[in-house]
Amino acid sequence: MRRLRFLFQVAITVAAAIAGVRFALGWARTSVETYCPFGGLETAYALLARKRFTCATGEVNLALFVALVGLALIARKAFCGWACPLGAVFEWTGRLSRRLFKRHTFQGFWSIPPRVDAALKVLLRTAVTATILAASWATGELVFRGYDPYYVLFSAHGHDVRTWSYGILGALLALGLLVPMAWCKYLCPLGAVLWPLSAVGRLRLERSEEACTGCGACDRACPQALDVSGPLQVRSGECTLCLECTGACPTPGALSLHLKGAGR
Amino acid sequence: MKTPPWAVPALVVLFAALGIGGARLLAVPSVVRDYAPAGPGPRRTVVLVVDGVKCTDTAERAANQLKDAPGVVRLVAYASRNRLDVTFLPSVTDPAAIRAAIEGPVYDESSGEYLFGVYKVVEVDGVEAGK
Repeated sequence: MRRLRFLFQVAITVAAAIAGVRFALGWARTSVETYCPFGGLETAYALLARKRFTCATGEVNLALFVALVGLALIARKAFCGWACPLGAVFEWTGRLSRRLFKRHTFQGFWSIPPRVDAALKVLLRTAVTATILAASWATGELVFRGYDPYYVLFSAHGHDVRTWSYGILGALLALGLLVPMAWCKYLCPLGAVLWPLSAVGRLRLERSEEACTGCGACDRACPQALDVSGPLQVRSGECTLCLECTGACPTPGALSLHLKGAGR
Repeated sequence: MKTPPWAVPALVVLFAALGIGGARLLAVPSVVRDYAPAGPGPRRTVVLVVDGVKCTDTAERAANQLKDAPGVVRLVAYASRNRLDVTFLPSVTDPAAIRAAIEGPVYDESSGEYLFGVYKVVEVDGVEAGK
């Protein structure tokens, strides 16, 4: 499953890069923005209020966002772990960080205390999301395009990308080395929107107390640095169902995936 | 209920397909422009795919290209599909004239200059446009 996910991540990252280059060269009429689900949320207000999409967004963004809401209600943040090209890049940066700093976990260079981590996840991401949505809804333009690491990385120097945009991207990648998955955990607006849906998502990882030896391999493998070995069920809205924990677990049956019933 | 791990990638693929496929069912016009009434008579709509129409602003500009074109009744633009549906009076104009008007020089208000090659019609009624 790890190999399959890696293939998914490589495929989506290469596809995004190719889409950006093709659009930049004039070989395609759809840009990487077309496939950003967050664009669907950015454009929703314009569609309701003005009966038209925000500039550079369209039906695909909206339909992908609606589909993503459905996916999150079942498979939590599986989009982030399996199909987000930016998530893949930041995960690879996190893996590089582990090697550079010789760490066994995704805690990174600094170990952020759990309370600070939780506060940052809520406050920072909410602030980023609210600012982007307010600005996009007020102006009808994707005003934060130049700051968006997905757009800067994959648009092949697209519209609104300036020299400082690469500086911001570089700074975020450097931050990702010091604090693995920092973008996804503390800044990503799509992650913020998906979090409450993911928290009630039906697919969950469960730990069998009888089979678990408490070796902690699952904790060390989790790119989101979640506590997998503690609870009997991973309830965190940050779980991307990447299944790295099940792959790392040496005891068959200790960790398994369960679909919770509607009433539970 | 215990679920096999492959359910996760399967769900991701399924919902991605639903999203991209579902987009085909949605069609929200970026711009709708009614031009001056051009008199009675039968009307026809030509569907153009235009390079350069990629957002609401560029669709608005493309609509401006037709404001003085005789016989053009209505334009409905779908920017995300690069598509313009142009309704016209066949007794007054034809798709070739409409295409020429769209591809003509575009007046840029910010610079006060005319820009050339801003729009290029690449498809007319589903058929690739000839040079």
